[in-house]
Amino acid sequence: MIPDLDLSLERVIRASRTTLWSAWTDPSRLERWWVPAPTLCRVDRLDVRPGGAFVTRLSDDGVVFVPHVDACFLVVDELERIVFTNAIDSAWRPTNPAPLPMTAEITLSDHPDGTDYRIVVRHGDPAARVRHEELGFSTGWGRCTEQLARLAESEAAL
Amino acid sequence: MLQHEILSHVAQYSAQLDGLFVALADPTRRAVIRRLGRGPASVGDLAGEFPMTLPSFMKHVRTLESNGLIRTVKSGRVRTCVLNRERLALVDGWLAEQRRIWEERTDRLERFVTDPKESRQ
Repeated sequence: MIPDLDLSLERVIRASRTTLWSAWTDPSRLERWWVPAPTLCRVDRLDVRPGGAFVTRLSDDGVVFVPHVDACFLVVDELERIVFTNAIDSAWRPTNPAPLPMTAEITLSDHPDGTDYRIVVRHGDPAARVRHEELGFSTGWGRCTEQLARLAESEAAL
Repeated sequence: MLQHEILSHVAQYSAQLDGLFVALADPTRRAVIRRLGRGPASVGDLAGEFPMTLPSFMKHVRTLESNGLIRTVKSGRVRTCVLNRERLALVDGWLAEQRRIWEERTDRLERFVTDPKESRQ
Protein backbone atom coordinates (compact mmCIF):
# COMPACT_ATOMS: atom_id res chain seq x y z
CA MET A 1 0.00 0.00 0.00
CA ILE A 2 1.18 3.48 -0.92
CA PRO A 3 -1.23 5.89 0.84
CA ASP A 4 -1.31 8.51 -1.93
CA LEU A 5 -1.97 5.94 -4.65
CA ASP A 6 -3.81 3.00 -3.14
CA LEU A 7 -7.05 2.36 -1.34
CA SER A 8 -8.21 -0.47 0.87
CA LEU A 9 -11.51 -1.36 2.41
CA GLU A 10 -12.60 -4.12 4.71
CA ARG A 11 -16.07 -5.28 5.65
CA VAL A 12 -17.67 -8.24 7.41
CA ILE A 13 -20.50 -9.44 5.19
CA ARG A 14 -23.20 -11.76 6.58
CA ALA A 15 -22.92 -14.31 3.82
CA SER A 16 -20.74 -17.35 3.17
CA ARG A 17 -17.57 -17.25 1.11
CA THR A 18 -19.34 -19.55 -1.40
CA THR A 19 -22.18 -17.04 -1.86
CA LEU A 20 -19.72 -14.15 -2.34
CA TRP A 21 -17.57 -16.19 -4.70
CA SER A 22 -20.57 -17.00 -6.87
CA ALA A 23 -21.66 -13.31 -6.85
CA TRP A 24 -18.23 -12.50 -8.34
CA THR A 25 -17.81 -15.41 -10.74
CA ASP A 26 -21.32 -16.14 -12.11
CA PRO A 27 -22.01 -13.61 -14.92
CA SER A 28 -25.76 -13.43 -14.25
CA ARG A 29 -25.04 -12.64 -10.58
CA LEU A 30 -22.19 -10.19 -11.20
CA GLU A 31 -24.50 -8.21 -13.51
CA ARG A 32 -26.90 -7.65 -10.60
CA TRP A 33 -24.53 -5.56 -8.45
CA TRP A 34 -21.49 -4.52 -10.54
CA VAL A 35 -22.91 -1.10 -11.65
CA PRO A 36 -25.34 1.30 -9.93
CA ALA A 37 -29.03 1.12 -10.99
CA PRO A 38 -30.71 2.19 -13.19
CA THR A 39 -27.69 1.59 -15.45
CA LEU A 40 -27.66 -1.99 -16.73
CA CYS A 41 -24.59 -4.20 -16.85
CA ARG A 42 -23.83 -6.94 -19.34
CA VAL A 43 -20.96 -9.33 -18.70
CA ASP A 44 -19.33 -10.10 -22.04
CA ARG A 45 -16.52 -12.29 -20.72
CA LEU A 46 -15.80 -13.65 -17.27
CA ASP A 47 -13.09 -16.21 -17.61
CA VAL A 48 -12.13 -16.51 -13.95
CA ARG A 49 -8.61 -17.94 -14.10
CA PRO A 50 -5.15 -16.35 -14.26
CA GLY A 51 -4.85 -14.61 -17.64
CA GLY A 52 -8.60 -14.88 -18.22
CA ALA A 53 -10.73 -12.08 -19.64
CA PHE A 54 -12.95 -9.77 -17.58
CA VAL A 55 -15.11 -7.65 -19.89
CA THR A 56 -18.29 -5.78 -18.94
CA ARG A 57 -20.53 -3.27 -20.73
CA LEU A 58 -23.02 -0.63 -19.58
CA SER A 59 -26.37 0.51 -20.88
CA ASP A 60 -28.88 3.19 -19.93
CA ASP A 61 -31.66 1.98 -22.21
CA GLY A 62 -31.03 -1.78 -22.40
CA VAL A 63 -30.41 -1.46 -26.16
CA VAL A 64 -27.06 0.27 -26.61
CA PHE A 65 -24.25 -1.17 -24.48
CA VAL A 66 -21.01 0.84 -24.20
CA PRO A 67 -17.60 -0.46 -23.03
CA HIS A 68 -17.01 -0.47 -19.28
CA VAL A 69 -14.33 -2.79 -17.91
CA ASP A 70 -11.77 -4.51 -20.17
CA ALA A 71 -9.40 -6.25 -17.82
CA CYS A 72 -7.47 -9.42 -17.14
CA PHE A 73 -7.39 -11.75 -14.12
CA LEU A 74 -3.93 -12.16 -12.61
CA VAL A 75 -4.56 -14.48 -9.67
CA VAL A 76 -7.57 -16.66 -8.90
CA ASP A 77 -7.55 -18.76 -5.70
CA GLU A 78 -10.89 -20.58 -5.52
CA LEU A 79 -13.10 -19.13 -2.73
CA GLU A 80 -10.18 -17.08 -1.40
CA ARG A 81 -8.80 -14.45 -3.71
CA ILE A 82 -9.34 -12.67 -7.03
CA VAL A 83 -6.78 -10.26 -8.49
CA PHE A 84 -7.40 -8.42 -11.75
CA THR A 85 -5.91 -5.44 -13.57
CA ASN A 86 -6.96 -3.05 -16.34
CA ALA A 87 -3.30 -2.18 -17.07
CA ILE A 88 -3.50 -4.98 -19.63
CA ASP A 89 -6.78 -5.67 -21.40
CA SER A 90 -8.59 -8.97 -22.00
CA ALA A 91 -6.35 -9.59 -25.05
CA TRP A 92 -3.23 -9.01 -22.88
CA ARG A 93 -2.52 -5.71 -24.64
CA PRO A 94 -0.95 -3.02 -22.40
CA THR A 95 -3.40 -0.12 -21.94
CA ASN A 96 -3.46 3.28 -20.32
CA PRO A 97 -7.01 3.60 -18.92
CA ALA A 98 -8.31 6.80 -17.29
CA PRO A 99 -7.83 8.07 -14.72
CA LEU A 100 -5.03 5.59 -13.99
CA PRO A 101 -4.36 1.88 -14.42
CA MET A 102 -5.12 -0.20 -11.33
CA THR A 103 -4.84 -3.67 -9.87
CA ALA A 104 -7.68 -4.81 -7.61
CA GLU A 105 -7.20 -7.60 -5.06
CA ILE A 106 -10.31 -9.08 -3.42
CA THR A 107 -9.72 -11.41 -0.48
CA LEU A 108 -12.31 -13.58 1.28
CA SER A 109 -11.73 -15.23 4.65
CA ASP A 110 -13.99 -16.84 7.26
CA HIS A 111 -15.42 -14.71 10.03
CA PRO A 112 -17.76 -15.77 12.89
CA ASP A 113 -20.48 -13.52 11.38
CA GLY A 114 -19.94 -14.55 7.76
CA THR A 115 -17.05 -13.44 5.57
CA ASP A 116 -14.22 -10.97 6.12
CA TYR A 117 -14.25 -9.20 2.76
CA ARG A 118 -11.20 -7.11 1.87
CA ILE A 119 -10.27 -5.05 -1.15
CA VAL A 120 -6.94 -3.43 -2.00
CA VAL A 121 -6.80 -1.31 -5.15
CA ARG A 122 -3.31 -0.33 -6.28
CA HIS A 123 -3.11 2.54 -8.77
CA GLY A 124 -0.38 3.54 -11.21
CA ASP A 125 1.68 6.63 -10.61
CA PRO A 126 0.05 9.78 -12.08
CA ALA A 127 3.52 11.04 -13.06
CA ALA A 128 4.13 7.83 -15.05
CA ARG A 129 0.97 8.52 -17.07
CA VAL A 130 2.20 12.02 -17.74
CA ARG A 131 5.68 10.90 -18.77
CA HIS A 132 4.04 8.46 -21.17
CA GLU A 133 1.83 11.18 -22.64
CA GLU A 134 4.69 13.66 -22.94
CA LEU A 135 6.68 11.06 -24.83
CA GLY A 136 3.72 10.54 -27.17
CA PHE A 137 3.35 14.27 -27.56
CA SER A 138 6.98 14.87 -28.42
CA THR A 139 7.05 11.99 -30.92
CA GLY A 140 3.94 13.35 -32.62
CA TRP A 141 5.38 16.82 -32.58
CA GLY A 142 8.64 15.60 -34.11
CA ARG A 143 6.77 13.88 -36.93
CA CYS A 144 4.71 17.00 -37.52
CA THR A 145 7.84 19.18 -37.74
CA GLU A 146 9.44 16.69 -40.10
CA GLN A 147 6.43 16.83 -42.44
CA LEU A 148 6.39 20.61 -42.29
CA ALA A 149 10.12 20.72 -43.11
CA ARG A 150 9.61 18.35 -46.05
CA LEU A 151 6.70 20.44 -47.32
CA ALA A 152 8.72 23.64 -46.94
CA GLU A 153 11.70 22.08 -48.76
CA SER A 154 9.56 20.81 -51.65
CA GLU A 155 7.93 24.21 -52.03
CA ALA A 156 11.31 25.94 -51.92
CA ALA A 157 12.46 23.65 -54.74
CA LEU A 158 9.65 24.80 -57.04
CA MET B 1 -29.02 11.26 -21.55
CA LEU B 2 -27.67 10.24 -18.16
CA GLN B 3 -24.86 8.29 -19.80
CA HIS B 4 -24.08 11.28 -21.98
CA GLU B 5 -23.90 13.63 -19.00
CA ILE B 6 -21.66 11.27 -17.06
CA LEU B 7 -19.33 10.77 -20.02
CA SER B 8 -19.03 14.49 -20.74
CA HIS B 9 -18.38 15.16 -17.06
CA VAL B 10 -15.73 12.44 -17.00
CA ALA B 11 -14.11 13.80 -20.18
CA GLN B 12 -14.01 17.31 -18.74
CA TYR B 13 -12.64 16.13 -15.42
CA SER B 14 -10.12 13.91 -17.16
CA ALA B 15 -8.84 16.79 -19.34
CA GLN B 16 -8.38 18.94 -16.23
CA LEU B 17 -6.51 16.14 -14.49
CA ASP B 18 -4.23 15.60 -17.50
CA GLY B 19 -3.25 19.30 -17.38
CA LEU B 20 -2.58 19.12 -13.66
CA PHE B 21 -0.51 15.95 -13.95
CA VAL B 22 1.58 17.52 -16.72
CA ALA B 23 2.13 20.57 -14.51
CA LEU B 24 3.16 18.34 -11.61
CA ALA B 25 5.36 16.01 -13.66
CA ASP B 26 8.36 18.34 -13.41
CA PRO B 27 10.64 18.37 -10.34
CA THR B 28 11.14 22.16 -10.43
CA ARG B 29 7.40 22.76 -10.55
CA ARG B 30 6.79 20.30 -7.71
CA ALA B 31 9.47 22.09 -5.67
CA VAL B 32 7.74 25.43 -6.32
CA ILE B 33 4.43 23.92 -5.12
CA ARG B 34 6.14 22.61 -1.97
CA ARG B 35 7.77 25.98 -1.34
CA LEU B 36 4.47 27.84 -1.81
CA GLY B 37 2.83 25.40 0.61
CA ARG B 38 4.74 27.30 3.31
CA GLY B 39 3.28 30.63 2.14
CA PRO B 40 3.30 33.12 -0.78
CA ALA B 41 6.64 34.16 -2.29
CA SER B 42 7.84 36.60 -4.93
CA VAL B 43 9.01 35.30 -8.30
CA GLY B 44 12.43 36.82 -7.59
CA ASP B 45 12.84 35.00 -4.28
CA LEU B 46 11.59 31.73 -5.75
CA ALA B 47 13.86 31.96 -8.80
CA GLY B 48 16.87 32.46 -6.53
CA GLU B 49 16.30 28.97 -5.08
CA PHE B 50 16.65 27.21 -8.44
CA PRO B 51 19.79 26.85 -10.56
CA MET B 52 18.36 28.24 -13.82
CA THR B 53 17.92 31.50 -15.67
CA LEU B 54 14.96 33.75 -14.89
CA PRO B 55 13.33 33.22 -18.32
CA SER B 56 13.51 29.40 -17.84
CA PHE B 57 12.06 29.73 -14.37
CA MET B 58 9.26 31.97 -15.66
CA LYS B 59 8.20 29.20 -18.07
CA HIS B 60 7.58 26.92 -15.09
CA VAL B 61 5.66 29.67 -13.30
CA ARG B 62 3.46 30.19 -16.36
CA THR B 63 2.75 26.43 -16.67
CA LEU B 64 1.70 26.30 -13.02
CA GLU B 65 -0.42 29.40 -13.45
CA SER B 66 -2.13 28.27 -16.68
CA ASN B 67 -3.14 25.00 -15.01
CA GLY B 68 -4.50 26.95 -12.06
CA LEU B 69 -2.12 25.47 -9.49
CA ILE B 70 -0.85 28.91 -8.52
CA ARG B 71 -2.06 32.49 -8.88
CA THR B 72 0.28 35.42 -9.37
CA VAL B 73 -0.39 38.99 -8.32
CA LYS B 74 1.72 41.93 -9.44
CA SER B 75 2.21 44.77 -7.02
CA GLY B 76 4.54 47.48 -8.27
CA ARG B 77 7.63 45.67 -9.57
CA VAL B 78 7.11 42.54 -7.50
CA ARG B 79 5.13 39.53 -8.75
CA THR B 80 3.94 37.32 -5.91
CA CYS B 81 2.97 33.64 -6.33
CA VAL B 82 0.25 32.06 -4.21
CA LEU B 83 -0.67 28.37 -4.09
CA ASN B 84 -4.22 27.46 -5.20
CA ARG B 85 -5.06 24.70 -2.73
CA GLU B 86 -8.48 23.97 -4.25
CA ARG B 87 -6.85 23.04 -7.52
CA LEU B 88 -4.37 20.77 -5.78
CA ALA B 89 -7.32 19.08 -4.07
CA LEU B 90 -8.59 18.07 -7.52
CA VAL B 91 -5.48 15.90 -7.91
CA ASP B 92 -6.26 14.22 -4.59
CA GLY B 93 -9.88 13.94 -5.73
CA TRP B 94 -9.34 11.05 -8.18
CA LEU B 95 -8.43 8.69 -5.33
CA ALA B 96 -11.48 9.74 -3.27
CA GLU B 97 -13.59 9.14 -6.38
CA GLN B 98 -12.17 5.61 -6.82
CA ARG B 99 -12.79 4.92 -3.14
CA ARG B 100 -16.43 6.03 -3.50
CA ILE B 101 -16.88 3.72 -6.51
CA TRP B 102 -15.50 0.71 -4.60
CA GLU B 103 -17.45 1.51 -1.40
CA GLU B 104 -20.73 1.75 -3.31
CA ARG B 105 -19.92 -1.39 -5.28
CA THR B 106 -19.34 -3.25 -2.00
CA ASP B 107 -22.65 -1.86 -0.62
CA ARG B 108 -24.47 -3.33 -3.63
CA LEU B 109 -22.66 -6.66 -3.35
CA GLU B 110 -23.51 -6.84 0.35
CA ARG B 111 -27.20 -6.12 -0.31
CA PHE B 112 -27.22 -8.69 -3.12
CA VAL B 113 -25.68 -11.56 -1.10
CA THR B 114 -27.67 -10.87 2.08
CA ASP B 115 -31.07 -10.44 0.41
CA PRO B 116 -33.07 -13.65 1.12
CA LYS B 117 -34.97 -13.25 -2.18
CA GLU B 118 -31.70 -13.24 -4.15
CA SER B 119 -30.10 -16.19 -2.38
CA ARG B 120 -33.00 -18.48 -3.36
CA GLN B 121 -32.32 -17.88 -7.05
